[in-house]
Amino acid sequence: MLEKIEHVKVDFLQELNAANDLKALEEVRIKFLSRKGLIAELFEELKSVPPSDKPAIGRALNELRGFAQSRFDARKSELERPAGVADSKIDLTLPGRSRPLGTQHPITRTIDEIIRIFARMGFSVADGPEIETDYYNFEALNFPPDHPARDMQDTFFISKNVLLRTHTSPVQIRVMEKQKPPVRVLIPGRVYRNEAVSARSHVHFHQMEGLYVDTKVTMSDLKGTLVSFVKQFYGSATKYKFRPTFFPFTEPSADMYISCFICNQKGCRMCKYVGWLEILGSGMVHPHLYEAVGYDPEKYSGFAFGMGIERIAILRYGIDDIRLFYDNDLRFLRQF
Amino acid sequence: MKISHKWLKQLIDVRLKPAELAEQLSMVGLEIEGYESLGSKYEKFVVGQVLEVAKHPNADKLTLCKVNVGKEVLEIVCGAPNVASGQKVAVALVGATIPHNQHDPEGKPFVIQKATIRGIESNGMICSVYELDMGTDKNGILVLDPKAKVGSSLSSYLGLNDVIYEIEITANRGDWLSHLGVAREAAALTGKKVKLPALRLKESSVPTSSVASVKIFDSKKCRRYSARVLRGIKVGPSPKWLRDILTAVGLRPINNIVDVTNYVMLELGQPLHAFDYDRLVDGRIEVKTAAEGQTFTTLDGKTHTLSSDVLMICDAERPVAIGGVMGGANSEISNSTTNVLLESANFDSTNIRRTVKSLGISTDASQRFERSVDIEMTVYAVNRAAQLLQEITGAEVLRGVIDVYLRKFKSRLITLRVSKTNDILGTNLGSAQIASQLKRLGLAIKRQSKGSILVGVPSFRNDLVEEIDLIEEVARMFGYNNIETKTTSVVEYSTTPVEENIHDLLRAYFVGAGFNEIVANTLQDAETARLAGEPLVEVLNPVSAEMAVMRSSMIPGVLQIVRRNIFQGNQDLRLFELGRVYSMREGGSTEKWEDFIEDDRLLILLSGRLNPPQYGLDSRRVDIFDLKGEVESMLAKFHLDKHRLISYDSDKALTVDNVAVEIQGTYAGFFGKVKKEILQRFEIDSDVYVAELRVGILAAHRVTARRFEPLPRFPIVDRDVAFVVDEGVPQEKVYRAIQEAGGAWLVETRLFDVYTGQQIVSGKKSLAYSLKFQSIERTLTDGEINEQIARIVENVRTKCGGELRR
Repeated sequence: MLEKIEHVKVDFLQELNAANDLKALEEVRIKFLSRKGLIAELFEELKSVPPSDKPAIGRALNELRGFAQSRFDARKSELERPAGVADSKIDLTLPGRSRPLGTQHPITRTIDEIIRIFARMGFSVADGPEIETDYYNFEALNFPPDHPARDMQDTFFISKNVLLRTHTSPVQIRVMEKQKPPVRVLIPGRVYRNEAVSARSHVHFHQMEGLYVDTKVTMSDLKGTLVSFVKQFYGSATKYKFRPTFFPFTEPSADMYISCFICNQKGCRMCKYVGWLEILGSGMVHPHLYEAVGYDPEKYSGFAFGMGIERIAILRYGIDDIRLFYDNDLRFLRQF
Repeated sequence: MKISHKWLKQLIDVRLKPAELAEQLSMVGLEIEGYESLGSKYEKFVVGQVLEVAKHPNADKLTLCKVNVGKEVLEIVCGAPNVASGQKVAVALVGATIPHNQHDPEGKPFVIQKATIRGIESNGMICSVYELDMGTDKNGILVLDPKAKVGSSLSSYLGLNDVIYEIEITANRGDWLSHLGVAREAAALTGKKVKLPALRLKESSVPTSSVASVKIFDSKKCRRYSARVLRGIKVGPSPKWLRDILTAVGLRPINNIVDVTNYVMLELGQPLHAFDYDRLVDGRIEVKTAAEGQTFTTLDGKTHTLSSDVLMICDAERPVAIGGVMGGANSEISNSTTNVLLESANFDSTNIRRTVKSLGISTDASQRFERSVDIEMTVYAVNRAAQLLQEITGAEVLRGVIDVYLRKFKSRLITLRVSKTNDILGTNLGSAQIASQLKRLGLAIKRQSKGSILVGVPSFRNDLVEEIDLIEEVARMFGYNNIETKTTSVVEYSTTPVEENIHDLLRAYFVGAGFNEIVANTLQDAETARLAGEPLVEVLNPVSAEMAVMRSSMIPGVLQIVRRNIFQGNQDLRLFELGRVYSMREGGSTEKWEDFIEDDRLLILLSGRLNPPQYGLDSRRVDIFDLKGEVESMLAKFHLDKHRLISYDSDKALTVDNVAVEIQGTYAGFFGKVKKEILQRFEIDSDVYVAELRVGILAAHRVTARRFEPLPRFPIVDRDVAFVVDEGVPQEKVYRAIQEAGGAWLVETRLFDVYTGQQIVSGKKSLAYSLKFQSIERTLTDGEINEQIARIVENVRTKCGGELRR
């Protein structure tokens, strides 16, 4: 039986190659591939084959049918090609058939890149609500009521105690309430500020917050982690410096600056001609936060940091207007 | 706030250049946003004296002057009619930039060069007021004071030899809101001592207490009130030095009394207020809270309605000032004022902040009190002001300060542990090293051992409350950049399974499928947001009506984006967004956080043509089935197998042709075609198809664990069948009928054609299906398949009234 299959295959190939027009080709199809053709006949014969041989012969038959059909199709399209057009005569300068190209938004793309770096350092990702309470957005973060620090962030209120979060820091509290140390977490998200919309500021933007709490975490670790990040993200030649600043929820607090990668510290508009770019705020988690979430401040220490995603994208891509991120003009989106 | 370098030098002997001082202060946290040399525009301008004036030999209106500029005598050609020998004048040397060219219609600047004017060389220029940018007078040169020093720089003659720093104050350091505060920080940096100006006050024999009295009724809101009385003051403009320095730091000079109080505030950080003594009934000062609902007119002419929390300064009969915020119109200094009561008090920061917030006024004084002011400074400050006023106006200063001081200052004691300091900072500092750093900041070391230091906090550092505050001070003094950068760490291995983030997967999928990701505004105008229905989450204090409510659906907002792109000439749109929508629980309260709902959504949008016209591509317009296909592909990709797409007519606010997506019986969103009338609102002409799906539901039902199915070993048999049914019969009904009757061997049913037309009866349509049969046990016979087809035909006939098309 297997021999027979092989014969049919050889015959088929011979006749296929001999068929020089579509009419001859149709005859080949009827002879071999039609419902009453030679291959179908072989399938009929399969029924009378001893059961033990059936699997092997069945498989060979199926292969033959697939093989014959594909060779037939190929020969057919060859013969259908207009006369005189050989393969080499195709006009290869005709455009390729394009498919629509997808693009990722620069904000989510920047977030992804940052997460990728910190994920390798053992950070996981957490999420939290954008509609927040005064407690999580301010009080638990050591912004006392009636403290001028509250003026640092102009707030949209929904009601007296419900507001739109002004930073991703409330998620620090929510994470620590649920989880015991060690905590290594990244918190990307949208935040809101009551500011006039202009090329430089918008009512909302995105932040990336990081939090690391464990026993024996020091400011040296803060520096090491963030230096590693900026070198991975901005290039290994990046210079950096840390400068004291004030945030209610960290102490000591530090702003991190990196050497301006736009002008190589020669001075440009982006770095306000000082050669340094402020890229993130950071600090050692204030003990009052541990008290708020029930951690022992004598046992645990840690650091937190936060950066503005739009600012990073603006610096990286040289975007001159923050509103472009939310306009979603395809001429903008297609550049990323 | 602006800080003058010259002023700072009166308080501390800083030798650093402005650039160095700015850098060093910034590096301890006092951010210098910038600094500017006041006289920089008068570089290469000097005071000169005209020695000789001769007629220009070749021009009638010009003179040839010999001018002594100190180091040399220059020959300068001058065209001014008023030049005369002996005058002191402003000379622009070669290389100086003249701010305004008098001969240019727009007055553009130009640079002085050696020039030959009508055959005579001129080596500079004698300047007019206009040329110096000091006014509009172009008629002749500016003649300086005869006492001006020849050869000295013009900027020092004008009092402009100063550098002004613009500093940014953090919310915790109110003490930096003065030259003294900045000087203290410079002292910590340089090791130099701060010295306060010496007081030389000549008091008269009349005791202050004989004409005035002070009583505090609310000791919580005001702990200290010091006062002095000065008599025989003549109100007038301040002397030049005072006007110059105030102008330099950005304050408008008003009159000598107000200017002195401002000067002392900027110097020492202690806000002062001057009352017209004669308008205070009985010379009495009473510090007490306002009566609820009482009205009061402040000196800016505004009338405020007060609450009983507001602390007022009153005389014997009525309020005369809002304590620590602003004085009243009824007792302010006027040109006829001759006697003055100077207030130098300390107000509670919390109460000041509440007052400022409730009244909506903020002043230089309130900004300082909000951040808390050195309670030990009141007496020195009032004396300093009295001395300056005496020097300027010759006023009589009555004997003694009235000083009501409740609950005297006691230095706060904080224990700082050496080990904790090093544990937080990652340093290895010793007790002595830490103590010496704290001392430089003016903190008192009360006790020191190897393991800990007892620190006394001075009155001007109210921000230092607990140990961590001192650790920060140590870090600042040690230098953040001297702390080791540790680049190794111990990571605890996770023991929980890695969960793939559905957002990331969906994003990657749609980018790969040729969609452009968008990130839209979540705040919208109410009218747009309301299109999707209510209740909406509204912002109480929106920045504008355009951004006043939160979106409850992604659809209205994306239509604005569609419109923008169509207007820009991009009409073929494939967009997606992963974002949030916001709403409230039915009957919920905005006071309760739990009543707000945030839901993650996936938006998919198609509009315009499938492809832009291009050789060999189909550029038909997209329709609902393109979107349906995208939704189905996504569901298949994420193995959301048990889904149903239910077409229904229920009226959605924004769309028609709606299809609900149900996954394992849970509603996961819908897709449809945006209604014409909605599109018209956005001036969109082409059809827009949108899907809005709930990401949470997709994530919950995604099947991640799959079992392998063995590949079938027996052949597949293809059969095509076509049914003619009434046009009104949904395809899905026929499809189901085929599936029901197909048996276990029917492994695939695919619709490949829908036909209506001449070939069949009108009112009917033909649905053609490709069926695949396969058994996992054996090869199927023709007979078996024919039997199965017969069952299918029968079932379609009974369920759908369909006939097999021959």
